[in-house]
Amino acid sequence: MVLLNLLKYRLIIVKRVKPIPYGGVIIPIVSLITGILLSAIILWVLVAIPPLELFSSIAHSVLSPVVLKSFIMLSLIGLALVISFRGAVWNIGGEGQIMMGVLVSTYIALFTALGTMPIVSKIVMVILAAIAGALWAAIAGILRAYLGVDEVPITLLMNYIAYYIIDTLVNGPWKGKHTWGYIRTDEIPRASRFITIPGTTITVEAVILLIVVYIAAWYILNYTSLGLRIRILGSNPDLLKSAGINVPITIILALTISGAIAGIVGAIYLAGIIHRIPYPIEAQTANYGYTGILVAWLSMLDLRAVPIAAYIVGILEASSIRLARAAVMYIFMGTVLLTYTVTRIFSEYTIKFVKKM
Amino acid sequence: MDASILLEIAPVFMTYYLAALGHGFFEKSGVLNLAIDGIFVLSVAVTFAVAVYTVNPWLALTAAVVVSMLFGVLLAYLTTKFPISHGAAGLSLMFLGYGLAAIVGRPAREYQGSTGVSGFAFPEDPLTKTLMYAIPIIVGVILLFILNKTKLGVAIRAAGENPYAAAALGVDVLKIRLIAGIIGYSLIGAGGASFVLAWLPLWSEGHGLNHGWLAFAISLSAGRHPLLTIISAGIFAGLVKYQYSLLAAYGLSTDVAKMIPFIAAILAIVIFNVTPLKRKLAPPASLGKIYFKEEKTV
Repeated sequence: MVLLNLLKYRLIIVKRVKPIPYGGVIIPIVSLITGILLSAIILWVLVAIPPLELFSSIAHSVLSPVVLKSFIMLSLIGLALVISFRGAVWNIGGEGQIMMGVLVSTYIALFTALGTMPIVSKIVMVILAAIAGALWAAIAGILRAYLGVDEVPITLLMNYIAYYIIDTLVNGPWKGKHTWGYIRTDEIPRASRFITIPGTTITVEAVILLIVVYIAAWYILNYTSLGLRIRILGSNPDLLKSAGINVPITIILALTISGAIAGIVGAIYLAGIIHRIPYPIEAQTANYGYTGILVAWLSMLDLRAVPIAAYIVGILEASSIRLARAAVMYIFMGTVLLTYTVTRIFSEYTIKFVKKM
Repeated sequence: MDASILLEIAPVFMTYYLAALGHGFFEKSGVLNLAIDGIFVLSVAVTFAVAVYTVNPWLALTAAVVVSMLFGVLLAYLTTKFPISHGAAGLSLMFLGYGLAAIVGRPAREYQGSTGVSGFAFPEDPLTKTLMYAIPIIVGVILLFILNKTKLGVAIRAAGENPYAAAALGVDVLKIRLIAGIIGYSLIGAGGASFVLAWLPLWSEGHGLNHGWLAFAISLSAGRHPLLTIISAGIFAGLVKYQYSLLAAYGLSTDVAKMIPFIAAILAIVIFNVTPLKRKLAPPASLGKIYFKEEKTV
């Protein structure tokens, strides 16, 4: 009966007169809740994971020590992606840029004399990782800026190239000697490893880098002309052009800064977490480059919200690890991103049901 | 090149061509399709699962087509009915596809491991392999005909070029994009099914991953033209099939070989963009643009 009545109505979308109040808070929360509920239904129906088990695993992950580690990595990659997303430059290549950071810092730590020099080694690793990530991203930036090639497929395809470059090295000249028969690199020297804060899963250097990068990103985006240019690029690129601003350079810089931060994530990933590159890397990566997309979007591209979004996504990640299924994280990402994409429109639009004529 | 090499490439060609054809057809209606890789991977898993449980390739193919089609409908509906970002909607369905694929594939793989089912793939005789060229190309010709010679095709292209103008002329943009989504994603599903049934009849976590992106690049570099896609799909099929032997000849490792299709994909996209091809086969003007039509509320 109810259904029959529903058929008499049709769903239409109309513009709101004013944006929804507190939309920046309500929208991510609503999308998160509906997304997780949707995931719960999918996992319940298809894998028979009872929703209560899922929710309890999420609840248990809220204060789990693993989340702190993901929090730092996801905050950083979230910052990286927000900078380019604000300019409507869709950097889906976080993974590849992280990998370039991993690659360069491994080289410094394992194959140069710097690797055994305390402090110097870490500084050089981070700086060169940032440069490597920036250059890797700049390729897509140049193609987009000067040839009009869409950056989404390019950054995405370059992720795989980055994986295979690393695989080629690890299963070749970089193959370690002390690996108990596994194909992987040797562990980096102690002097190059980040120092774990006792009792936690995070490292001193990672915390420092997060603070430094956060302030830098904040400053660049809000207090420099470049930041302003990037923001206008996202909201009104024609204005930028008519104001005589060099649009291609702005596009390239948005991607380059984004890539530099992703490169730093790579350095932290190597020196703070894995200490050696496994083989094949594409099967064992933590996928921060992709999860970061969810972080960036959930933050509504607002730098202030990035740490919160990163913590929440970290919780989802930890709970999927707890359930021992990689698929769970993908489902979470899919559903939350989907509900977010749809609910986001309610800041400007509203749904009405009107009677069919 | 002798005929046997062509026959060897046939399954790869069929996989890429069907997926790229469907992708291009769907995008002609103006919906940016970033969900392709996820749904391709899901189709691969569904095909494998149904094939393992029923040992019937046709049932597996049908299941993959139906599942894929549902996602095509979902993507077309969401991006047309709601003023949402096509990119974000596509990527979220991609992640969902990856997750669902792992969920669907794993128990089927365990079932296969315990029972040893196999032999669900298509036969490998020359006739079947010839058909693997013939049938997809016939489908391509039919799609070209639909696009250029039928009312539906005009409506699809209009929805992709300027949905507002199309709507003003009486085209139901939502309906047209749903039809394009159904046809396009059926073919992407069929591509995923071919991947398992004709090319690599097995499954492990991540099987099929990133082949959807190659189909994306194949379609893009051919300007989404059904016949030109035959050429780009053929080139990529050869490249992927013989990447290892090509590089073994030069003494390079398999990891380098894995890189080649991706470099080629980027080059193909770039070449398409810098040559007059882009002007001649311009992408739909409203591809990926948010479509929002003010509706009468009273």
